[in-house]
Amino acid sequence: MSLADPEIRDLKAAATSHRGDRVFNRIITVAAFTALAVLAGIAVFLGLQTIPAFQSQGLSFITTTAWDINTDPPTAGIWGMLYGSVLLAVIGLVIAIPASLLLSIFTVFLAPRKLAAGLTNLIDLMAAIPSVILGLWAFYILNPTAEEWQRLLNQYLGWIPIFQNASGNFLGTPFIAGFVLAIMMIPIITSVSREVLARTPPELINASESLGSSLWTMLRYVALPYGRGGIVGGIMLGLGRALGETIAVFFVLKIVFEVNWYQIIESGGGSVATLIVSRFGEVSGEFELSLLLAAGFFLFVLTLVVNVIANLIVARTGRLQK
Amino acid sequence: MTTTFDPSALPQLQQQRIERPWRRKPPIFTWSVVLATLIPLAIVGWIYWSTDIPGAIVMTVIYLPLQLIASGVAAFATRGRRGILDSVIIVNAIGATLFTLIVLLSVIGSLIARGITAISAHFIYQNNVYVSPSTPLEYGGIGHAILGTVIIVGISMLIAVPIGVATAIYITEVRGRAVPYVRFFVQAMAGVPSVVAGLFILTIIVATGAFQQGAFAGGLAYAILMLPTVARTAEEVLKLVPEDLRTGALALGSTRARTVLRVVLPAARTGIITAIILGVARVIGETAPLLLAAGSADATVVNPFGGPIAAIPTYIFNNVALPYPDAVARAWASALVLIVLVSILFVLARVIGRGRLSSK
Repeated sequence: MSLADPEIRDLKAAATSHRGDRVFNRIITVAAFTALAVLAGIAVFLGLQTIPAFQSQGLSFITTTAWDINTDPPTAGIWGMLYGSVLLAVIGLVIAIPASLLLSIFTVFLAPRKLAAGLTNLIDLMAAIPSVILGLWAFYILNPTAEEWQRLLNQYLGWIPIFQNASGNFLGTPFIAGFVLAIMMIPIITSVSREVLARTPPELINASESLGSSLWTMLRYVALPYGRGGIVGGIMLGLGRALGETIAVFFVLKIVFEVNWYQIIESGGGSVATLIVSRFGEVSGEFELSLLLAAGFFLFVLTLVVNVIANLIVARTGRLQK
Repeated sequence: MTTTFDPSALPQLQQQRIERPWRRKPPIFTWSVVLATLIPLAIVGWIYWSTDIPGAIVMTVIYLPLQLIASGVAAFATRGRRGILDSVIIVNAIGATLFTLIVLLSVIGSLIARGITAISAHFIYQNNVYVSPSTPLEYGGIGHAILGTVIIVGISMLIAVPIGVATAIYITEVRGRAVPYVRFFVQAMAGVPSVVAGLFILTIIVATGAFQQGAFAGGLAYAILMLPTVARTAEEVLKLVPEDLRTGALALGSTRARTVLRVVLPAARTGIITAIILGVARVIGETAPLLLAAGSADATVVNPFGGPIAAIPTYIFNNVALPYPDAVARAWASALVLIVLVSILFVLARVIGRGRLSSK
């Protein structure tokens, strides 16, 4: 029985004709649109702040890379930060996607049931670790180890352009920041892909196995195609998280106002979210504050687009109702 | 011989694992797995202890390929060519799982090992007023920050919980025409970066001047982050309330509003509590919004409108990179306090939600 039944719908109509119900419905409806009001508020309030930025800098605010506020005229551009956010997210994804997929394959298809339940709990707990704690850990524990790895990478694979390092300084690199982002993305991507892989109909799995398929052919032709939409959606959700991540990146990335195009183990990079927090503490006045707010607006737009695409992909597959 | 159906044996039948003859493993399989695990470990152990090649190189350049080859040979011996790809997947899947667990253990382990030194009774209740970064650990604490976090999270709960539950009620009970749009906006809101939420509250402060940096502003920023979590979890929970309860209440002459308030919400009580806990766990460690909207303080502040206030995440943030060992020890200790709080919330949500959400 559902409200689609005509009799029930009549019942509903009769019930909502009551005066108290109309008031109740109105209050609930207004509350339900709070999410829209907040999104619109963010777009309007932060959007208005882009006006002073564009008035003083023109389009170069988003196409150049500079931050000299106290010169006359001041120059400011966030291209390097926007690009840096994307670069860090890509580094994170390169690490997080294979790790999360393999982790969810292990949990769903390989691990004994009790181990799988324990792993699920641990990964969910990992998702709950606040980013400031990951930043603290990365600053003191990961940094020395990662410095060593990067030195080795540079020593043996330095002929590949992305592993170049001219300065000899291996701290504050996009690689470390991307690695921290990967640690934040792994639980998000894993929990979504684990759910969709676990929902692969057992008939299909048994059928393919009884036809003689190996683990690889089962994954390749049954489980992964079945869960593709959900997995891609989970990756996009992780990406949205990575683009907006602020504090953990703040501790491990050296912000420089030059575009670091591809040298991922060279000290210095950019990230819009981290720019905002790192400049906010020593903001020089109203003008610089409005520049930071404008940068926040572009960060908001970037993450909104990624999240909307992610949710459309997840909704289209319709298998993950979360 | 005829067999009759015996209903009392049904639970036992359901418990039985389905026979899958094609999954039976021959004994040679077990032996090849054991050998394929032990031989590479022995070789790598010998290389690691007898030479001075760094551990990271030994693991990635020597152990992983060696393990892949060994497992491949074992798989080939037992199952022929098609086994090789399977062994690659299995070795990599176990490797990825171990990698993630090592990272998690490293985070938790370092928090406990480094945080425990500064933990003491006075660390939990004293504030930071007469404490400079170089003050020894006998003095000062994060009592003011714990109180600040409680006040800020409390304010955000007062705002986000009613609105979040109302949003869920709109989706599952009122079922207006805008349901797909409301769900879409809630999901879009869930993706708002925390630093943007802080900036938004900051622009309101700058633009209107209605209030200043402090607990109320911080609570507003937290509420933006908490609302989608509460709304989405509450929606899941309300969906689990049987339709019969609603139609039953309506048939007894209850109004729609009374049905929701007196029947549906009480039926979903524990689930709603889970939703609130998950919302709190989502925001409690967020730092960026508080840096922007709440500021920081050394003294204990209780007035939500009384100016900048301390909280645990901002306290950690301010102490992490200071060149004083005692300040850093305080940061680790408050991170330990924070992760303990998060874990308590996490376990609470699991325990309360178990009966109701597991049927999902």
